[in-house]
Amino acid sequence: MKTSRLIARMLGLASLGLALTMTALAAQAETIRVGMSGNYYPFTFVDHDQLQGFEIDVMNAIGEQLGDDVEFVTASFSGLAGMLDSGRIDTIANQITITPERQQKYAFSEPYVYDGAQVVVRKGNDAIHGVEDLKGKTVAVNLGSNYESLLRELPYADQIDIRTYESNIEQDVALGRADAFVMDRVSASQVIKDKPLPLALAGQPFSRIENAYPFRDDDAGRALRDRVNEALDTLRDNGTLSEISQQWFGTDITQPPQNDSSAG
Amino acid sequence: MHALNVDYMLSLTPILLSYLPLTLGMASLGMVLALVLASLLAVIRVSRVVILDPLARLFISFFRGTPLLVQLFLFYYGLPQFLSFLVSINGVTATIMGLTLHFSAYMAESIRAAIVGIDRSQSEAALSIGMTHAQMMRRIILPQATRVATPTLMNYFIDMIKATSLAFTLGVTELMGATQKEAASSFLYFEAFLVAAIIYWIVVELLSQLQKWLEKRLNRAYQR
Repeated sequence: MKTSRLIARMLGLASLGLALTMTALAAQAETIRVGMSGNYYPFTFVDHDQLQGFEIDVMNAIGEQLGDDVEFVTASFSGLAGMLDSGRIDTIANQITITPERQQKYAFSEPYVYDGAQVVVRKGNDAIHGVEDLKGKTVAVNLGSNYESLLRELPYADQIDIRTYESNIEQDVALGRADAFVMDRVSASQVIKDKPLPLALAGQPFSRIENAYPFRDDDAGRALRDRVNEALDTLRDNGTLSEISQQWFGTDITQPPQNDSSAG
Repeated sequence: MHALNVDYMLSLTPILLSYLPLTLGMASLGMVLALVLASLLAVIRVSRVVILDPLARLFISFFRGTPLLVQLFLFYYGLPQFLSFLVSINGVTATIMGLTLHFSAYMAESIRAAIVGIDRSQSEAALSIGMTHAQMMRRIILPQATRVATPTLMNYFIDMIKATSLAFTLGVTELMGATQKEAASSFLYFEAFLVAAIIYWIVVELLSQLQKWLEKRLNRAYQR
C-alpha cells in the first residue's frame, strides 16, 4: 500500500518535472540554421578560420532581433539547395536572387539587398564594354547561380560560350582563360578594390536583381519567413541594415533604388 | 606576377592542419568498413553463394558504375525526400557511408582477383584433409590473398583520403573545403592550394612507408 502510494507520488512529480521542462524548452530560443558557401567575398568568407562577412552580420542582427540563436552551416554552393530541401538548414544567406522559378519552389523573405548583374573582365581588355559585347566570348559564371540564367536568356545566348564553375571564376578571368565573368556589381567592385587580381568592371550593370532569404514553402517555413520579415523591417527602420552595408561596402545596398531609370 | 606569399602560407598551415584529423578519420573509418564489406562481397562472389551472389554483383555494378558524387547526392539530398528519418544522418556519417559503399565495390573486385589468383591446388589440398569451405577460406586462401591484394588496397585507401574532399558538398568542412574557403577570401589561390597539396603529399608519403613495411611483413613466410 505504502509503496504504491510512493510510486504514484513519484510519478506525479516526474510528470510535473517533465511538464516544466517542456514549457521551458518551448519558451527557449529557437535556433535558425543558416546555410552559406563561405566563399563569396565579402558576403560570406573565411579568413584564417574566421567565418565573416555582410551575410553573417545581417543574420546575427536578425537573430538578435528575434531572440533566436543563429547557427551557420557552410557547404559548397551546389549543395545548399539540397540541404534546404532536405530540412538540414532553414534558409540560405548567400545573396540568393529572387527569380520566378525559385519563387515557385521556395517562400522568399522580402529583399534585403538590391543590386545589379555586372560583367567583369581582365584589366586592359578593350573588347568588352558591357553585356552586348559578350557575343563570341567565353564567359564564366557560378554553377546554379542566377547569372547563368540571365546569360542564357539573352537573345544571342547561343553565341556565348557560357562556362559554369563551382568557384574561382575571378581567377580564371584574371588568368585569361575566360574573357569575362558575370557576378553582382557590389561584390565585383569589392573584389577589384581589395584583392590583388587584375580585373575591371565592363560597363554598367545590365539587370536589376533583388536578393532575399529562401525558406521551405511549408507552414513552418512560411512562419519563420514572416518572423524574419518583421525583423528585417525593424532593422531597416532603425538603420541597422544600412549601417552593416556601409561597414562592408561603403555604400547602402539594402535600400530599394529610388529613381526608376532602368539600368538596362 | 606576384611573389610567393610565404608568410600567408605559414599562417595558413596550422589552420589547414587542424582539419587533417577529420579528413583522415573519415577515410580510415571508411577504409575499415569498406574492407569488411569488400571481403564479404568477394567471398560471396568467389563461392557463388545462392541469391547473395547476384545481389553482390548488382551492388558492385551500381557502386562502381556511378560517380561517388552522384551517390552522395542521391543518398544525402535525394533519399530524405522520400524517407524523412534519413535527415537525422549528418554529413560526416553520410560521407563515411558513401566512401564505404563506393570503395567496397572496387575493393571487392581486387580481393576477388587475389583469391582467384591463389593456385587451385591449395584449395584442393585443404579440402582433401577435411577442412570445411569456410575453414579453407579463413586458414589457407585469405591469408595468401591478403598479401597479394595489399598494394592495390593501399592504393584505394590513398584514393579514399583524397575523395573525402567531396564532403564539402554535404556541408562538412574538411581539409579541401577549408582550403577552398580560405583561397576564396584571400584570392591567393596558388599559396592556399600549395599548402593543401603539400599536406596531402606528406600524408600519402607516410602511408607509402607504412605500405612498404606491411608488404615486407607479409612476405616473411616467403623469404629463405
